[in-house]
Amino acid sequence: MYQRPAFLPLPDVATIVDVTSLDEPVTGDPPAGGEPPRWERAGTLFAQWREGDTRAMDELVQLMTPTLWHVVRAYGVDAALAEDVVQTTWLTLVRRHETITDPRAVSGWLTTCARREAWRAGKAQRRADVTDTEVLEPQLPSAESAEASATRSDASQRLWAAVEQLTERCRRLLRVIAFDDRPDYARIAKDMAMPIGSIGPTRQRCLTKLRTLLGDEGVAAYGD
Amino acid sequence: METDDFAADAALFAHLRAEWQERDPVPAGLIDRMVAAVAVEDLSREYALLTLVEGEYAAVRGESDTSTLQFSDGKTSVLLHVTALEGGDHRIDGWVDAAAHEVQLVQGEREQKSQVGEHGRFAFDGVRTGLTRVRLAVTRDGEASWFQTPQFEI
Repeated sequence: MYQRPAFLPLPDVATIVDVTSLDEPVTGDPPAGGEPPRWERAGTLFAQWREGDTRAMDELVQLMTPTLWHVVRAYGVDAALAEDVVQTTWLTLVRRHETITDPRAVSGWLTTCARREAWRAGKAQRRADVTDTEVLEPQLPSAESAEASATRSDASQRLWAAVEQLTERCRRLLRVIAFDDRPDYARIAKDMAMPIGSIGPTRQRCLTKLRTLLGDEGVAAYGD
Repeated sequence: METDDFAADAALFAHLRAEWQERDPVPAGLIDRMVAAVAVEDLSREYALLTLVEGEYAAVRGESDTSTLQFSDGKTSVLLHVTALEGGDHRIDGWVDAAAHEVQLVQGEREQKSQVGEHGRFAFDGVRTGLTRVRLAVTRDGEASWFQTPQFEI
């Protein structure tokens, strides 16, 4: 679904802290020569749907569902529950779309809704599963066949090994940020019960830790 | 922060994204299911009408009497098998040949929902006598559509 690995460089932390409202889009140059970023395409489709184009909603669902999947899975909920959370997010959009004043905010609205639902669902699941070891299994990465892992590059395997050594909180934050092309640090901070100003530094600490785990080769490949 | 740092972070995030996409991919069919689920909820949708291609609209009356109706729009077909039960109620066993998300049975103000199981099967129990129509949310080529049959008498 992700045709291009577009990543918008994050604005400086100081700027992000100031941007607390999704109704005031971060101004930035669109990627040179490329199509508009995902959040902008989402906003256009959402506006078209509101003007009566029912097909635009189908396209919006196709565009944003992969992002929502990864955001929800970052919270460690199992696959079946993650599907439910993604569905709840979409149904909530259809039922409450009037509350979104600026159509361009729809992408952030969706990821925020998905994160809150995932957090709630994950907490309920952990509480219910506390004595049940069986259910821990689906939350773990599925065991891979030797064949699949053999075809993976060394770099990929090293990167993953490093990711698995990060704290759960770091993994979650990096995954959410990796898939949200316009992260709203103020809301992420609130939802993760972290001080707003600490998200940028935390993100940076997690990246630094990851680079340390990757060692010299990681620095060569991904910068220091 | 330096531009180089942004570029390095961006590269690392791109690699991370690729890992997660490969190691925990979006489940097959999830996007189609979401498209259909949203269509069901989206009241602004219009229904495309399926037409009767086989069977008769005649009511099923007697006990253990059955009738079969087939509707289609040329691409999507629905087969309904109506059985009269003891006590006057009916059962409808249905089959649809497209990826359907939800089926509704509409009798006046009364609506029943059924999920579609394996091989496009669905069923409604305790269906009363009266004018009836069936609605389906179907996903085809990534697009969701609502279909409904004409009213038929049970």
